[in-house]
Amino acid sequence: MEHLLEVKNLKTQFGIDGTTVKAVDGVSYYVDEGEVVAFVGESGSGKSVTQYSGLQLIPSPPGKIAGGEIIYEGENLLDFGPRSEKMREIRGGKIGVIFQEPMTSLNPVMTVGNQISEAIMQHLNLKKREAKNRAIELLKTVGIPDAEHRVDYYPHQFSGGMRQRIMIAMTLSCDPKLLIADEATTALDVTTQAQILELMKDVVKRTHTSLVMVTHNLGIVARYADRVYVMYAGEIVESGPTKEIFNNPKHPYTLGLLKAVPRLDSSKDSKLVPIDGMMPDLSNKQDQCAFQPRCNHYTDHCLSSPSPQLKPVDEGQKHLYACYENINKNLFEEKLKKKSSIQEQEEESLYKTELTEEKDTILEVKNLKIYFPVKKGLMKRKIGDVKAVDDVSFKIKKGETLGLVGESGCGKTTVARSILRLYETIDGEISFKGQDIANMSKKDLRFLRKNMSMIFQDPYSSLDPRKTVESIVGEPLKNHKLVKTQKEYQKRISELLSLVGLDPTVKDRVPHEFSGGQRQRIGIARALASDPSIIVCDEAISALDVSIQAQIINLMKELQAKLGLTFLFIAHDLAAVRHISDRIAVMYLGKIVEIGDWRTLYENPQHPYTKALLNAVPIPDPLVEEERDRIIIEGEVPSLLSRPKGCPFSNRCPLASAECLDVEPALKSIETNHEVACIKV
Amino acid sequence: METGTAKVIDKKVYTSPAAAVPPKRSSVKRFLKVFLARKVVVFSLFVLLSLVFVAIFAPLVAPYDPYYQDLTKSLQKPSMEHLLGTDMLGRDVLSRIIYGSRVSIAVGIVSVIIAGGIGMILGLIAGYFGGFIDSIIMRFMDAMMAIPMIILALFIGSALGGGLDSVMISLGIALVPSYARLTRGQVLSVKESDYVLAGTISGTSNFKNMFVHVLPNSLSPIIVLVTMNLGIAILAEAALSFLGMGINPPGAAWGAMVNEGYKYLMSQPVLSIAPGIAIIIVVLSFNIVGDALRDALDPRLRGRI
Repeated sequence: MEHLLEVKNLKTQFGIDGTTVKAVDGVSYYVDEGEVVAFVGESGSGKSVTQYSGLQLIPSPPGKIAGGEIIYEGENLLDFGPRSEKMREIRGGKIGVIFQEPMTSLNPVMTVGNQISEAIMQHLNLKKREAKNRAIELLKTVGIPDAEHRVDYYPHQFSGGMRQRIMIAMTLSCDPKLLIADEATTALDVTTQAQILELMKDVVKRTHTSLVMVTHNLGIVARYADRVYVMYAGEIVESGPTKEIFNNPKHPYTLGLLKAVPRLDSSKDSKLVPIDGMMPDLSNKQDQCAFQPRCNHYTDHCLSSPSPQLKPVDEGQKHLYACYENINKNLFEEKLKKKSSIQEQEEESLYKTELTEEKDTILEVKNLKIYFPVKKGLMKRKIGDVKAVDDVSFKIKKGETLGLVGESGCGKTTVARSILRLYETIDGEISFKGQDIANMSKKDLRFLRKNMSMIFQDPYSSLDPRKTVESIVGEPLKNHKLVKTQKEYQKRISELLSLVGLDPTVKDRVPHEFSGGQRQRIGIARALASDPSIIVCDEAISALDVSIQAQIINLMKELQAKLGLTFLFIAHDLAAVRHISDRIAVMYLGKIVEIGDWRTLYENPQHPYTKALLNAVPIPDPLVEEERDRIIIEGEVPSLLSRPKGCPFSNRCPLASAECLDVEPALKSIETNHEVACIKV
Repeated sequence: METGTAKVIDKKVYTSPAAAVPPKRSSVKRFLKVFLARKVVVFSLFVLLSLVFVAIFAPLVAPYDPYYQDLTKSLQKPSMEHLLGTDMLGRDVLSRIIYGSRVSIAVGIVSVIIAGGIGMILGLIAGYFGGFIDSIIMRFMDAMMAIPMIILALFIGSALGGGLDSVMISLGIALVPSYARLTRGQVLSVKESDYVLAGTISGTSNFKNMFVHVLPNSLSPIIVLVTMNLGIAILAEAALSFLGMGINPPGAAWGAMVNEGYKYLMSQPVLSIAPGIAIIIVVLSFNIVGDALRDALDPRLRGRI
């Protein structure tokens, strides 16, 4: 059978500082008509570059396509220049691309209608009038309500999810045969992500288009893809039908990824197994298995042999892998499932004691309200409030982890910042170790700063690029005069660095010399320096790759056990939160809608929003995914300025009735350790 | 709880170091390697050093007394006797350029240091604290910018009462607003970085945060502005001298020489071109060295070069 797109032995290289980086190194793949193909891999694995090479969108110089063939409908695209008429026709006309960042991929000074029409007029030779009609039609296809009016809106008048829909409409405008979605939903919230993915799947099915998904999210792959290519260091290391890949991974890297990613449905105590080390430097790649330095299964044969080629698992099968060893998943399943009934009972009793155990409350937040005034006009008259946090109360006990989850704009970061007293005025009570933080004087803040610290989201912007590791980690030590002599100072810094798994000799390096995961470790060492009793983690793992994420989660759990730390863990990734938290609070539009211990909340969610949120998270297992019911909630998180009356969730809630618009539900206890704010429960 | 979690943890995972870090180079070596990476930088540095040498040892280097007038030899073309010819009073141009380097380089460097120092502090305070303080400082700067630089300098200079010192000070003050604005803009973006917030959370005082985290990370464009302003200051000194402030005849300064020479531009172009080229060389060298300095101080290049 003729493939729609077939790529043979593609090589893309970048010349940087006199060295050649082999970003794509001999990649071959194909896409058939009407199929959904996923490319997975961590950042830097070359999955996006592969796609852009196909469209000849590689910036050149420094990039160049060094070899290979890209055959689309019988023609080798590499025979045409990147700026040729033919390539322009193919890009957009035959192959459409949906980019990651919906905020920047639309032109802000053109109406969306004009942007879509532009592409249509270019490729389909239609008149302006006809093009606009087609644009309206397309906007309806992608589910933009009131398309006739909205076609004349500018991009800033749409939310992120809506913009991504418009991007999809634009790529669909010329009836392409192939869509490439490059991390198209990564920047979106979980519920919006689910909507967009469903939309893409639906559109692909209806128009019989092929879809290439580039993603790092294994859950999305399991839920939507027919076939998978796993990439590592510019090579495809494994490929095959989705179910095969997930159930019987043959390459150690695939297996590593599957074990490193936290799952919504796995046992909490099944530990995440990180992949040690990091991606090799692609500028001096040897002809050897690129994964070997991080592999647990390598033999002497791997060290002395050239890079392994893709070979079928069984003769004639579609499942291919590039490894000399023949690993068996069963072996790992055994390891994972070895838990006997005795262990389960033990766990159960441990869980019960945890529930009943009385521990000191270390932090208590009562009726916290953070309003930001909205001012307008010359006189800066106050016209209203943005209620970022509206009447939030919770407690954190010593030694536990409270997870705070919610979509962007729900106020979780604002809660964290008010606990750290980063706002001047705070309405409500926050008591920390019996001291009132909300009204603490500047002088007493010293106590707070010593006992509370924070781990940041972005390891690239949270470390001062001009300071050495020593002065970064030592800053709290010096501020609080925790060490007396230089010798003691040095000793403590070495101690902190080894605690987070860094070699103490790296003290005099600057942050730029480290990888993302290592930087995050430095950030953790800084947070630990003043020996705080509570650490606020604001999306501390969101910016990291899956294998690194597992390392950091494990490190945090270990440190908690060792040092008796208390965490307030803020995240939008529900699976990761579940893995680390003892109790979890779900926030929506500045309110806590449900709070409970991790088990009750995940196994028996009561609030419709929690249910929808959990349902929206794909599980990296195609068999599980097949059996799940989908609840796709409509709409998106409303702006804080146009908060619905009554229950904040009422306009999206499947259970909502007239009553919900009147009553603002308060949290009520429905069982031990489980509170829900919904009048229908 | 604690024991419960401990059970789950696999020790092996953490004791393995996070990953290999590239080998370290001594920081001085690295600085020099980046700084002197390009030949043009080495050359510019050499030019600047020799100029400073010449300025200091002017009496030994100069072939003639720069103030000695010999009207019989006025406006001579360049010759072996007078390499760059003589001016209308018969003074040797080369000697005057050599002596003039003392004034010009001093005016350039000192006024830029004054402007940069004051401007940076004001911009830092305005940007970091914002609000009322910001409005006060920046409106004052706006008012200063509304007056042309030369006129402002003239005004301050005449209040201070002539002479080389007052030229430096008045030029320095007149240049302050550009530094204040630039620094404020940088500070506004840098102070929003997570690492500044991290400083606050770990108990660093505002004052320390400002100087330890914010200022060093705002410096790059200021270094560029400094090297650009050197030339402006040297030329402005000429204008001030022309207007009767600063160096009075017969004192030698490059700007003043350009000014005196332009009357003879058609008949004796070397009179103003020669000091003009001297100014260009100094400004260009400072620019190149400044750029290299900025790169060498940038930690982002560490480990890579």
